[in-house]
Amino acid sequence: MTAKPTSRFAQFAAYGVAITTSLLFLYPYWWMLVSAFRSTREILSAPLRLLPETLDFSIFTEIGRIGGVDLSTYVINSIVITTLSTLVGVIVTALGAYAMVRRPKAPGFTFLRYGFLVTIMYPYMLLVIPVYIVMYKLGLLGSYAGIILFLALGPIQFFLFEQFFRAIPSEVIEAAMIDGASEWQVLTRIVLPMAAPITATVTLITFLLNWSQWFPILIISRSPDTYTLPVALLSMNSELGSNFQGIMALAVITTLPVAILFLLAQKRVMEGMASGAVKG
Amino acid sequence: MTAVIHIIARERVFYLFVLPFAALTILFGVWPILLSVQVSLTASASALGASPKYIGLANYVAVLADPLFVASLWRTLAYTVLSVAANLAFALAFATLLDSSLIRRGNLFFRLALFLPVITPDVAGYVVWRWLYDRSFGAINAALTSIGLPAFGGLSSPDTAMAALLIAELWHHAGFYMIIFFANLAIRDRSLEEAAHIDGATTWQRWRYVVLPQLRPALVINTVYAMIQFLKTFTVIVVMTKGGPGDRTNFVSYYAYQLFDQARYGEATAMATILFAIVIVLSLTAYKLGDREPGR
Repeated sequence: MTAKPTSRFAQFAAYGVAITTSLLFLYPYWWMLVSAFRSTREILSAPLRLLPETLDFSIFTEIGRIGGVDLSTYVINSIVITTLSTLVGVIVTALGAYAMVRRPKAPGFTFLRYGFLVTIMYPYMLLVIPVYIVMYKLGLLGSYAGIILFLALGPIQFFLFEQFFRAIPSEVIEAAMIDGASEWQVLTRIVLPMAAPITATVTLITFLLNWSQWFPILIISRSPDTYTLPVALLSMNSELGSNFQGIMALAVITTLPVAILFLLAQKRVMEGMASGAVKG
Repeated sequence: MTAVIHIIARERVFYLFVLPFAALTILFGVWPILLSVQVSLTASASALGASPKYIGLANYVAVLADPLFVASLWRTLAYTVLSVAANLAFALAFATLLDSSLIRRGNLFFRLALFLPVITPDVAGYVVWRWLYDRSFGAINAALTSIGLPAFGGLSSPDTAMAALLIAELWHHAGFYMIIFFANLAIRDRSLEEAAHIDGATTWQRWRYVVLPQLRPALVINTVYAMIQFLKTFTVIVVMTKGGPGDRTNFVSYYAYQLFDQARYGEATAMATILFAIVIVLSLTAYKLGDREPGR
């Protein structure tokens, strides 16, 4: 950029700070991973050890049942609930945002937009009782459907779609209308193909965010049978006489899928979350 | 009325598109919030019954007269101010560092390292931190004592519990604020800095008077997001402290949640409404302040 020669010391210091900070941020992952392979006694004697004494995978079979439910149930619940709530959320949000961008002044749409904005600002953990009542009245308490529908909507998803649809030039749509296309054809033949990349981004981000959800799932569930991995981890962590190694192993199982997914799609996720936030 | 029906009929395809979104927003957003406000106006014992007894603002009066709630509210505000400042300062400093000409290679690695905790399930992250702070298991005290520093009280000491939460939450959230600053830095007008450089401005002056004013959008967004985030602080308390030691980390959201557990629904929902009002007022104020000042 400028002609100023970079001092070697400044560069050295900059890398020192950046590397140290990054390693401190990554250390908890390493500690979690290593601790999953070490017995309580081994950790107590050397908490800082960077590698496990032995590579013993038996803990993952030891935690085969947690709280009277198979570990595989939690895994399947996580996958099913996250996938379905993501699909429902992406479709519903895309259609809703599209309609609201195309007809911002239609009766009721402004109310709906404000209703949504208020909802995402409300301290959701304080909706326990009302959500419980609503789920009860709808007969959805303890059901997968209740959990999936509750998790479907989210702010970043809505803002990303809204931002994208607003940027479509009205000429594109008008030209199609002049050619005699119906609104349905405009949506399916013109808008949706254009929206493929943003839909992929929103799908990824929604999946990552919904995988982490725990509180609504805990509230809507009537038994651990519908718990996902984070909820199971929380209840295991709250037990007395905690099984430290088991907790770390479960934390690894909870974290690993989304960490890998994120690293595979990091560019899309980081850019998407940044622009979704900037809009809001 | 007929005019409205006419519009709805004409635009029916858009109403059809919006219907599922509207249904979910109303069923799981607007309706529960209105129910919550309604419950806050009733006596707890009758709140969930068939014929709730309305007692006006008595719950609000009771809550505001409760010294534990007032203490919890001040604690929440103090924690929010500290967290917003710490997170934004850290995120801005790190984004500036990564954006500078000093860091060329490895930029992506540094951003990934900071952003990974953002997508890590918060329960898992905080569980790990809870044990990292542990006096006998934890790596933090083992590391501190091994280099001759005094042990960190962590979650068990009343003096350090709040700081321990703040650090764990910074780990989880700061990467998000960082990439927003980073994105804003990437779209700034660099020619202004060259002009200032030619005019003899120092590095600090260029950053303070040329770069920083251009970061106003990111600053406003991050302030509002972080404020909402930390006013609602909840998961980290459930996982790590349960409000303790003593009441040191008993923030409003957790206090209200405890009242739900004791079936004090009226007071709990009154607290929810008060916290919600604070969130709205502070966010709107931050937006207004951010928009009004010059430079944008």
